[in-house]
Parts: sequence; structure tokens; C-alpha cells
Amino acid sequence: MSLKTDDRKFDARTAAGIEDAFMRGAVGSAQDSLKTRRLTAATALGDWEQWRELGQQIRQHTLENLDYYLGQMADNVERRGGHVFFARTKEEASAYIRDVVQSKNARKVVKSKSMVTEEIEMNHVLMEAGCEVIESDLGEYILQEDDWDPPSHIVAPALHKNRKQIRDVFASKLSYAGDETPEHLARFARDILREKFLDAEIGITGCNFAVANLGAINLVTNEGNGDLTAALPKTHIAVMGMERIVPTLEEMEVLDNLLCRSAVGQKLTSYITVMGPREQGEVDGPEEFHLVIVDNGRSEILASEFHEALQCIRCGACLNVCPVYRHIGGHAYGSIYPGPIGAVITPLLGGYDDYKELPYASSLCGACTDVCPVKIPLHEQLVMHRQNIVSQGRTGVADRVQMKAASKLLSSPGMFRGTLRVAYSMTRLLSRHGRIVRGPGPIEGWIGIRDMPQPVKKQDGFRSWYERREHVHRPDNSPVPADIRKNGPAAQSDFNAAALPEPGRDTSVEEAAAPIGKEGRRP
Amino acid sequence: MNRIDTEPSSDTKLPNPSDSSKPHPSNRDSFLNRVAESLGRPRRTDDVTRPAWKHTVHLDTLAGCTSEQLVDVLKEQCFFIHTQVIESTPERLQTTLDDLIDSYGGGSVIRSGDPRFSRYGLSFPNGFAWSAEATREENIRQAEAANIAIVFADYALAESGTVLLASRPDQGRALHFLPAHYIAVIERDRIVPRSTQAMAELNRRHENGEPLGSCLNLISGPSNSADIEMQLVVGVHGPLKATYVLI
Repeated sequence: MSLKTDDRKFDARTAAGIEDAFMRGAVGSAQDSLKTRRLTAATALGDWEQWRELGQQIRQHTLENLDYYLGQMADNVERRGGHVFFARTKEEASAYIRDVVQSKNARKVVKSKSMVTEEIEMNHVLMEAGCEVIESDLGEYILQEDDWDPPSHIVAPALHKNRKQIRDVFASKLSYAGDETPEHLARFARDILREKFLDAEIGITGCNFAVANLGAINLVTNEGNGDLTAALPKTHIAVMGMERIVPTLEEMEVLDNLLCRSAVGQKLTSYITVMGPREQGEVDGPEEFHLVIVDNGRSEILASEFHEALQCIRCGACLNVCPVYRHIGGHAYGSIYPGPIGAVITPLLGGYDDYKELPYASSLCGACTDVCPVKIPLHEQLVMHRQNIVSQGRTGVADRVQMKAASKLLSSPGMFRGTLRVAYSMTRLLSRHGRIVRGPGPIEGWIGIRDMPQPVKKQDGFRSWYERREHVHRPDNSPVPADIRKNGPAAQSDFNAAALPEPGRDTSVEEAAAPIGKEGRRP
Repeated sequence: MNRIDTEPSSDTKLPNPSDSSKPHPSNRDSFLNRVAESLGRPRRTDDVTRPAWKHTVHLDTLAGCTSEQLVDVLKEQCFFIHTQVIESTPERLQTTLDDLIDSYGGGSVIRSGDPRFSRYGLSFPNGFAWSAEATREENIRQAEAANIAIVFADYALAESGTVLLASRPDQGRALHFLPAHYIAVIERDRIVPRSTQAMAELNRRHENGEPLGSCLNLISGPSNSADIEMQLVVGVHGPLKATYVLI
């Protein structure tokens, strides 16, 4: 797998997602369950906003000093007898891993779930080199056996499959003869994978957080496969995106608490492990430990206005609340990173050429930003992407013409009023049941994926209604005398427009927060 | 700079990947310089100190609980993580464990080599103790063959129902994951409110130069997965069932 999971165009991918009723049902119920669990766990913990601010502060401090902490991490891993490789590109990273594997004359590789190993196309490189690579996470194993079906969620990769499909995959690929009960399917996989763990020569894991002052990596898992991957084979290779680092165990603890609650609503997952090279006298664990630190475009993100995206701890909470992800599913993003965070980082890692549509796969409702445990302004970053895409002239001719026309129309009150007057009659033949269903060229594209209400008749419009309505009400809801009702507020002698707050601005909060100093209150 | 490239001859035990046919250039400095450049400043050469964190929510949560209350918190959480809790005493511990072994269907037992097993006078007729005396292969084989693992927790975290164990010569990593059933004995005075206290203590010990072991395992109940239709399956790659015995 690479960053790119699908060669079809964005429209074809989303259409496929929307037509897949089972997938949408599965995604919808998974979202409902995961977001409820997250909310329950956050509420039970209490002071969630302060936890988020703490998580954000830790991530920002670490990123601001990333060169220092990465250097410290490398020193400590090497002091403990491990090897560190800094890979600027995905090619460098996967070539290094391949060479380590080949230097051990190894063929059998077992790995635990890791998004960054997907990003660097590691499995492909190792298989080209003649290795057997086994994904040991249950969800990833199912996808591997189904001819490397791409993951559709960063935490629950096989979310889009139902138990019957999984049973069929196991039956056709692994001669499974049991029923479709999840326990039975999981137990069957356990037995097969147990042998793989015991036979493997190389174990490869990702890294939730590197702990810089310790020279160890932190894995957060539930199944136990990550620990078996790191404990049993004689060589352990851990791969990390360069931003996934914390100063000490104390900050790791805060972020693990945010991660577990945000991802799956657990206080802590079943296994939280901090591991490094085997120490003198210990019996198991890796005899040889390699840490591969991957840039692959991250330093460009760090230098850009999108640097806050690197705060991401890959919990997937933003996917679980996203109304667009709910309907198009993970595969439609065409990236191993789907959902709101995927729509932010995929264009940064893979470029606008392939991914310029993703920032538009959002209603900008901001639910993602609200749940992010490290306060990445996700929907604002999607708007920033759109600004870049427009200013780089990457939008189509039809889009540009449309936007130009809209801008002209909306900036001229006369034209706008005129258009409102005729909008209903002009769209009458294009509409059905109050929605526009047909239209020339570019409008077709717009209404194909959105509900576009038909403009109403002039007399039913907001402006007409506003002119007709009774203008006056009193703050205490006391009846307004008939003559004032009839003649409007101007007739009311004590009405003072200057005393009203600016429209749309609630000044009460600002006033309460303003410091009272020498100059008195802020204007 | 990649350290392994600078000392190829001094490191005879660990094969150097740069010795293979396609050497990998030293790239640490160029990599970190690039990171500093992205941050718009020269490389940090002085030590960075952590700032004062703006909130203390992690320190405050459950901080005021008495030890009795922490036991209650732990027991309640264990209900949610499918983990049985049995209250016992040092005197009754052997009997409690024997009964548990029976309830898990008997079979072979692997335990850590923790000195507390002999301190509490515990022995298991069909048992193997993880030990640096035996080879890596033998220890792993015994763990794989065992039906039950028994260990003593270094700490227990009440809030999350977690036992914390560090790897040592007499306590390997695979010990916690290969057997089908997992029993952790928790001495009540090892219970702390949450992960915050345990990690602060471990970090303090590390900063004082104390070795912590190559692996810290925080284990909260049996292994599980919700990868199939989000339906929880308890018992995946690690143990299928777990019990904590409080003494």
C-alpha cells in the first residue's frame, strides 16, 4: 500500500462509496458507537477542555523543539545499543528496512499496524525482495487476505467489511470452515498468526510516541499483536513519522490518555508498552533494534501554515464525527489517511495534483475541530487548502467562470435584487419538489452531489417577509400599542438606535473579560 | 549523522546495515538541520527544558482518594475491562491461586522469577519460572505451552484497571502475552490513582540513572479487538482471560 489507494478520479470514488449501502450502514453505526464512547469517556474524565489544551501545549512544545528531541532520542537509542536511521524520503526508509532484513538473510516478517509503514510502501518493497510480510492486527490481516484491500479507517481498518464478507475471505483464502461469529473468526486468526509470531525473524512496528529522554518507543494497542511482534523476533524495526515524539514518560502519559479516550473511549487500551533494545541479562525482546525516523514531506509541513496538522496523534476522532466520511466512506478519499485529517494531510504529503478535491470533501461544520484532542484547527486548514487551490489556478474553467459570475452578482445589490425577482420563474422548469434537479453544465455538477433548493417566489422571499413583518417587539414582551405596530419603531419616542449593540456582536462577554486598568474599560 | 556509521569496527555484536551491499549515508545532521530550517531558526544546541504545563488536570484526577477508595475504583473499572478481581490475603494467596488455576482448567503454569513468589511461599507443581538461566528459546517455548501466566505487579493503576510490569532477567516480555490466561497479583500498597503517578515515578527514577528495564508493560485486562463489525471480541492475540488477585 502507498499513500494513494485508488487510481480512479475523486467523483468515481465518491460515487462508489455512496452506492455501497452496506458500507455506509457499517460506517454510520461504527461512527455512532465510537463517538458515543469518546464522549462518555471524555465526560467521565472531566475537565476535558483543559486536557485538550494540555495535549495541544505538549504537542506544540515538542514540535517547536523537534530537532532537539529527535537528536536526544537518537542519542539514547544508540546509547542503549540500538540503531537509528533518519530517512528523508519514503524510498530511503523502505530501502533501509529492506537492507536490514537482507543483512539478516531473513524471509519471514511479521508486523503490527502502522500507518507510516503504509505511507513508505514498505510491504511492497519487502515482498519484492522475496519476504513474506504478515499483518498481525486482526483488521489488517483480514484486508491482507482479501488481496490487500485498502484500509478505510485509521483505527479500525476493516470497518467497511461485514462478518459474512470476512468469513468468505477466510474460507476462500485460508480454508476456514466455521461460521461468521466474530469470536470464531478472531480465534481462527489467532491460531494462524500465533505460528507466524513464533516463526518470524523480523518484527516491524510503528510507534505511537517516541520517548526522547528514555530512547524508547511507545505502542498503544488492544490485541497484543504489537507486543508479540516486538518481543519474539530477534530483530525489531520500529518506524515513526518524525513528529511522533514526546519529551518524557510524563507527557507520553497525558497523550496516551487523550489518545485512548478519543480513539475508542477506553481509559487506557489493554496494552500500553514502552520498549527499547533488549538490555543486558534480559531473555527475550530484540537482540537488534532499529528505529527508522521518517520525514517524507513532514519538514515541508512543519515550515508551512499547516504545521499544526503535525500535532495529530492519529486517534481518528475526527473521522468518527465527520458527516462526509459517513456518507462516502474511507476508500473515497483515495488515501491511507481518510476523513478530515486525511483531507488535510494527504494533499500535503501527496500533492494537489492528485488530491486537490479532498479539501472540498467537507461541509466545514467544524465537528472535527471540536473533537480533536490536540486542538488542530482542521476545518480552518481545509479552507486554507481551498484558498491555495484557487490562488494556484487549480480550479476548472467552469468553476472559475461560475465564481466570477457569482462574485459579480453578489457584489451588485441591483443585480442581486433583479435576479431574486426572476429566480423562481427561471428555475421552474429545472426543479421538482422544491429542489433544482437539472441545469446547464457546471450546475449539473453542483446539484449532482448537493441538495439545491429552488429559489422561492419573490413574495415568499426573506426580503418580502422582512418588509411585511411587525417590526417592533419590546424586550419584556409587553404588548406593543397598535399605532406603533402600524407605523414602525420610528414612532416610538424613546427608541435610541445608538444604544444598540453592533449587529451580530454579543458584547456582554467582551465587557466582562475586559481588564479594568488606568484607562478604564476597553472601548 | 548516523552513529553506527562512525564506529563500524567497535560494534561487532550488532551487524551494521551499512556493511551490506548498499550502504546508507550518514544523514542525521542533514536531517535535523532541515528540521531546524523548517522551524526557521538554527539547530538547538542547548538543552531544552520543558515548560510549566498550563494545567494540572492529570495530577488532580483521583488525587484525593484514600487507599480504600482506590481499591473500589480499581474493582469497578475491572468490571468494564472483563477482568475478574479476587480479594485475598498473603496467608490465603496460595489457596486462592490454586483455585484460580483449577478454574482455568489447570495445565502448565509459567510465572515470573519475582522474589515475591518465595517471600509469600508460593509454589506450583506444574510450573516453570521465567529465568535467565534458561535460553531464550526455552523460556518462549514454556510460555507458549503454558495455560496460565502468574506475575506480581510493580504498580497497579486504579482508574484504568492496569497492572504495570517492567522487563527484567527474571520477567520477560512474552510471558505476558503467550499464555491463554493471565493472573496478576497486586499488593494493595502498590495501587496508585492513575497512570500519572506511575509515569512520574518511573521518569524520576530514570532521571536519577536507575535502569527501568528495556520494556514497560501497562496491561489492562485481557486482549481484545473490535475489528469485526465493531463487535467486541475478548481474547485475540494475547491472553483470553485475566484475573487480578488483591492482597
